[in-house]
Amino acid sequence: MPGILDYDNVTKDYGSAWSKRRVRALNGFTLSLERGEIFGFLGPNGAGKTTAIHLALGFMRPSSGSGSLLGEAFGHAASRARVGFLAENVALYHRPANKLLRFYGALNGMRPERLKLRGREVLRQVELATEADRNVAKFSRGMQQRVGLAQALINDPELLILDEPTSALDPLARVAMRELLLEANRAGKTIFLSSHLLSEMEMICHRVAILDKGRLVKLGKTDELLVSHDRFEVIARGVPGGSFEHSQTREGHVEFVVPAVSQRDALERVWALGGEVLSVNPMRRTLEQVFVELTNKGDNT
Amino acid sequence: MRAVSLIAANFLREHRWPVLILFAWIFLTALAAGGFGRDRVVPDDVVFYVQQQAVYICVFSAFLAADAIHNERKSRRILLVLSKAISRGQYLLAIILGTSAMAVAYALVFGLCGVWLTARAALPSGQLWSVVLLVMAGSVIAATVAMFFSTFLNPYIATALTLLLFCAPGVVHAQRHAWSLWLPGLPILVDVMHFNFRSDWAMNWYAAVLAILEAAIVWMMAAAVFNRRDIAIPVE
Repeated sequence: MPGILDYDNVTKDYGSAWSKRRVRALNGFTLSLERGEIFGFLGPNGAGKTTAIHLALGFMRPSSGSGSLLGEAFGHAASRARVGFLAENVALYHRPANKLLRFYGALNGMRPERLKLRGREVLRQVELATEADRNVAKFSRGMQQRVGLAQALINDPELLILDEPTSALDPLARVAMRELLLEANRAGKTIFLSSHLLSEMEMICHRVAILDKGRLVKLGKTDELLVSHDRFEVIARGVPGGSFEHSQTREGHVEFVVPAVSQRDALERVWALGGEVLSVNPMRRTLEQVFVELTNKGDNT
Repeated sequence: MRAVSLIAANFLREHRWPVLILFAWIFLTALAAGGFGRDRVVPDDVVFYVQQQAVYICVFSAFLAADAIHNERKSRRILLVLSKAISRGQYLLAIILGTSAMAVAYALVFGLCGVWLTARAALPSGQLWSVVLLVMAGSVIAATVAMFFSTFLNPYIATALTLLLFCAPGVVHAQRHAWSLWLPGLPILVDVMHFNFRSDWAMNWYAAVLAILEAAIVWMMAAAVFNRRDIAIPVE
């Protein structure tokens, strides 16, 4: 059964067929989104994230491979009526916010009566209800980004595809955006989110994919990715503070990190010193650490 | 169809200023041809005005349509529109409709100015509305051909090619090849260029119908080409 968004061995090359300067933006990319999840799509600039999103929406065609959006092949117009999309550096027509939302909603076949209600609702959600009659040309970048999100939500989509949605937002607006996405997800929407803000992704994404130079280098549940099974954090008591390298003493407990291979030796040493082991846990990293580790590895190879 | 008309209306709205300027241009040229300060207008001046404006309207439509996709891609506004349940063919149809609506408005203003001029020149104005109809059909085919070229070419080259396509057949026609009348827009051009306010001139309905049929075929060709284009790549 096809997922909500599937890529099957998709490759995308830029440049004409006879051009010598061809750039491979995506290379054998395979991914399947599960219904109801918030999926984070990470990668350095030029990794191929936006290309993957544009392929899904039918803005371009894969050089090879295939994919489906809501069960239909990429590029199928009718299936996009159930999708909400926010582009990176959103570009809007210069019209009042409420009229603009009605325009975009009507393109998805929404009826005028429903559009009127829904328009008010989404403007309230993005905290622009009081600005509904103002022309978006007079809005700040952050406000325009919120109108962009509102147009993505207008059709009450099953799948939200957001390309760098928080790039132009201030910290408070980012928090509001995060809450909004979580709320949308609780309402049953699947969210495909591309962003550079790793801390945001770490907070809200159920699964994460890391893309580098067009290749998928890591895919997994966020919690599992952040846990390192190479290093363990040990908390002990009853041992002298300086007994272990780089140990820290807090409230009478000694905390230190040991590689997985020497974990047993470290524990035996605690006991030999007459101490007691309180906990041994896999070391938890930040998404930023995982990201840097994976993308730097790519550079070295 | 509602989505198509909405995009067309939006296209009209986005181009309202150039259109208003062109309306002013029609008035000004009509005033010039109407010879303000003179008691009577020379019939030849009116014929020249009619033929000149007829060609301008078709050229204007070609310019407008050739630039449409390029501008939308450059501003990246096309992304949000085509992320909705709109096929590429519908999008192109909307541009043709928008351009045609503008050309219709332009042709109507031209018709009204022409009526004023014919009254001053003591000419019958009935035939003028036949020219207006021909101009509308000519604008539709000019816009569609220009848009077809612009799906894979730079807009300037697309406009140049369109104008070349509309002018070059004139040379062919001068050689009296019967098949040249099948070339897009040529029968309209020939008919308008023979317009003279005399009773021996009659509107060529075949030319108008052929232009609309050709526009439909060119639109389908444009949709087939545009379907294969990567629209997210930035344009220069």
